Amino acid sequence: MNTMEPAAPAPAARFPGWLRIAVIGRNPKRTAIRALVLAVFCFVFFKFFVFQYIVLPVRIEGYSMYPTYHDWGINFVYRLSYRHSPPQRGDVVGIRMAGPKVMLMKRIVGLPGETVAFEHGRLIVNGAEMPEPYLKHHSPAPFMTPVKLGPNEYYVIGDNRMNSDQGRIDRDRIVGKVVL
Amino acid sequence: MKRAIQIVVALAAIGLAVWGWMALHPSPEKAIRSRLNGLAKTLSFKAGSGSLAQAYSAEKASEFFTPDVDVDVNLSGFEPLSIQGRDEVMGIAMKARSRLTSLKVEFPDMNITIAPDGQTAKVNLTGKATVPGERDISAQEFNFKLKKVNGKWLIYHVETVRTLSSLAAEAATSEV
Repeated sequence: MNTMEPAAPAPAARFPGWLRIAVIGRNPKRTAIRALVLAVFCFVFFKFFVFQYIVLPVRIEGYSMYPTYHDWGINFVYRLSYRHSPPQRGDVVGIRMAGPKVMLMKRIVGLPGETVAFEHGRLIVNGAEMPEPYLKHHSPAPFMTPVKLGPNEYYVIGDNRMNSDQGRIDRDRIVGKVVL
Repeated sequence: MKRAIQIVVALAAIGLAVWGWMALHPSPEKAIRSRLNGLAKTLSFKAGSGSLAQAYSAEKASEFFTPDVDVDVNLSGFEPLSIQGRDEVMGIAMKARSRLTSLKVEFPDMNITIAPDGQTAKVNLTGKATVPGERDISAQEFNFKLKKVNGKWLIYHVETVRTLSSLAAEAATSEV
């Protein structure tokens, strides 16, 4: 005696037709090619344009910005941040060495033309104490005699004041603002 | 069809010839870049390399410098150091090498300026040193000066560059 069992539904039939069309399209082969082209385009666009000229992905190494930024953290430097406005005090910026592949990460505490000093661990700008609300833990900075900044110079230091290089930098060394 | 194949083959042959010419006659900038990458590779070494290999790579590294090379090192927190002569530079490099188990040296950014006479060049670069397996990275900006000697670009002056201007940093450390 022959028995007939209902055939197992085709995999595609398990989903409503509209969903199948939305996900894989009417012609799966053509959809796969389109997806591949789109993936290649996205890869090229992000690798050679976005991550070169707009945001630079960076991996933080070291403790000079601790506790604001941790060692081995991932962040982004936005290269267009200072196209229309100059860097501000409190901004955390990426500072290039010979190029942008290795950068220093520091906070701007002195602006062009200002006189910057550190006394008793406090930031003094033009003779007046400057509040630093961005510091999560106040780590006193080493004493520094007043430094007069040039018209195109900024003074930078890490948030981990006792364990950070500091100094003046020219505007053209600032690659961009750290985003996150 | 036959014509199209002929054109494609001719274009490929022209492309190959241009590539071969450029490989054999690189621009000065490309030659310097390749030379400095070669230096970085020579200065790098893996764990377990024997003393013979060390001596060989030291000998090889010396080929990148002129005999009268001078090196000025001025790093924050250290006394300025000036070294004259290839032998002294190599001696110090060998000593430093003996203290490390392995090292990877790279020059990720190079800004090359060739003098108008085409015989000397200045390179502003970032030197990056990592010990494989460890997370610590040392990075330092340098200025290299090179000159062409018998068709080879040799380094005759090296100086460190302080990315953060030194005056304030010195003031910062002077009264801690």
